[in-house]
Amino acid sequence: MDVIVSTLAAFWLILALFFVLIKRGLWIFNEVSKSLSMFMLEKALGPAIDFVSGRSGSASTAWIIHGFIWTFAASTFTFVGLWLTHDSTALHSFGSWGYHPNSSELIYAGRLTALFGAIGMLVIGASLYALPKLSGTDLASESNATLVSLLWTFSVLLMFIGSQNSVILGITILPVANILLSLASTAIAINMILTISEATQDIPFPGWLILFAVIGNIAAILAVFVSGAYDEGTGQWLLFHLSGGTFFFCGLAGVSLYSASVGSGNPLWSKSLVAFTLFGALVTINPMGSIDFSMVTDLFSLTSSELAPSSRDVIAGSFLMALSAIPIIAFSANMLVTMRGSDAFVENPDSPGIAELNLGSWMLVPVAIGALFVQTDALGSVNELTGISQSLDLMAIWLVMVPLSIGAALNILPRASGRHQLSANRSRWAYWMMTGGAFLGLLITLMSDFTDMALTESMAEQGASINDELRKVGSVMFYGTVIGAIFHCTNAISGQFRGRIVEIGNTSSISSISIESYTLTSPTSIRKILASGATLDTEVSPSGQSEEEGSATEL
Amino acid sequence: MSVDVPSSVDVFIQGEKEPGSSGIVVVLGFVTMLTFLILYGILFPGRDMPVVSEVLPMFEGVFDSGIWFFLLGIIFGAFSILATMLTEATSE
Repeated sequence: MDVIVSTLAAFWLILALFFVLIKRGLWIFNEVSKSLSMFMLEKALGPAIDFVSGRSGSASTAWIIHGFIWTFAASTFTFVGLWLTHDSTALHSFGSWGYHPNSSELIYAGRLTALFGAIGMLVIGASLYALPKLSGTDLASESNATLVSLLWTFSVLLMFIGSQNSVILGITILPVANILLSLASTAIAINMILTISEATQDIPFPGWLILFAVIGNIAAILAVFVSGAYDEGTGQWLLFHLSGGTFFFCGLAGVSLYSASVGSGNPLWSKSLVAFTLFGALVTINPMGSIDFSMVTDLFSLTSSELAPSSRDVIAGSFLMALSAIPIIAFSANMLVTMRGSDAFVENPDSPGIAELNLGSWMLVPVAIGALFVQTDALGSVNELTGISQSLDLMAIWLVMVPLSIGAALNILPRASGRHQLSANRSRWAYWMMTGGAFLGLLITLMSDFTDMALTESMAEQGASINDELRKVGSVMFYGTVIGAIFHCTNAISGQFRGRIVEIGNTSSISSISIESYTLTSPTSIRKILASGATLDTEVSPSGQSEEEGSATEL
Repeated sequence: MSVDVPSSVDVFIQGEKEPGSSGIVVVLGFVTMLTFLILYGILFPGRDMPVVSEVLPMFEGVFDSGIWFFLLGIIFGAFSILATMLTEATSE
């Protein structure tokens, strides 16, 4: 049976249904459903809703601060997990407390907390600010969104506990965490739909990317269960990648494109490329992520099945994964060109987030190509590249997804909270520590993986000592990521209290439509004029200054 | 010709900013401590350090991997985040 095509057909059908419902509404039941939804988001929660602030931007701020703290936790778990790959008894003294940490469990904990805690919370936090701005309205319920951040954090905490000890008092922890996470996701999805129902302008594509990130994930889960593919390895593998392609890729793309424009002050370069990114992300299969899809079986409490696709599934899956190069390259190119010029890179002290967005955009294409090879290899049951899957997965997390989400959050947090980070210098240090740590640490670990694969292939009786040394150096290098995350946390928290107050000036346009006029105040190059979004039809207006030699100064 | 000398006030006065050279005093104290420890080793070679030599064996088998140096840094970082939250929220 063709699992992939039939499940994707159900997925696309559900997405189309969602889209029609969002655009058309529920006919005469529109007002009733909106009132009922608002009641469920606020009044139905009783006194709990009064515990949180309903101030504009408070929800976004709360989610982003939580995200930063989870970034620190996730980097710590990943660092310890990487260390234990070469020194498995390093933490054996915890055994006296009944805790026996091992490498694979801690890396799994690092993946869960990075994906759902760090990236998930930063993306949702940035979305809660960006989507209302893109719709020209306010968030439907700031209070509910703020309150839900606590529920989400609690579910991620349960995920960490479940990754270390799957059953406590007879209760399987990870499915419980997933139920709480789904509850929080549903509240956020309703909040976002209510927000765009009050839109006062056409929503630009980044807004649709954000919206489809949330509802696409729900559609993916529904599609796999409706099609009955949930108990097959191929269906579970597909759900893993559909969630990656919708919630993570669409969400990251939406908030990154928005904050690249807002942070750099440049208009979004191409509207068509955003449309390609959105459409491509929904019709293709995103290859990024591990070949181990046990996360799906753990979170949904499914029976784990072998990945045994039919030949038609292999062809369809490989083709759709290769096709995902289009949205990935479109997104990366759009980001890089949008951030062009205007000192919008590392040296810009006012936009520390731009450097992070730049890194994520650069690393996206090579990591995605690597992931495509590994996934195609696994789907075709060749399994020659299995050895590098974990390192490549960590690279996707720490060199693409985390930088993009942190970059978006760093640009949006000051606008949402009204205060900048405490120190731009500390933000830069954090960037260099995280980038250097993740890049060098994971690259060296990848080298060790290749050595391992070569030794396995040659059926060597003893492992090479250089391998352990490489893993040791890799894990020590990755420690920089932990330090960088600590810097980001303290900087963001202190900034909320003592950071410079944001003076909102002439913020950038969110439209990709080229500018109609350009005021020339000083001599400049044509490249700079074009870089600001001007086209051949843009009218260049010199400002009132005289070039005549010896003329009187105009007052 | 008289020089204006500020009259003493009966209140406690403390500067808002820390003088840059105050760190030198702390470093000087640290170096002095290390010097005395080295001196102890020269004057009484082969003899265990009082108190310290009795405390350290308690941790044998616990901190016997290099990861603990890094974990101490992480614990310090975690507490610095916690301390930042508490002090920023409670400061005037």
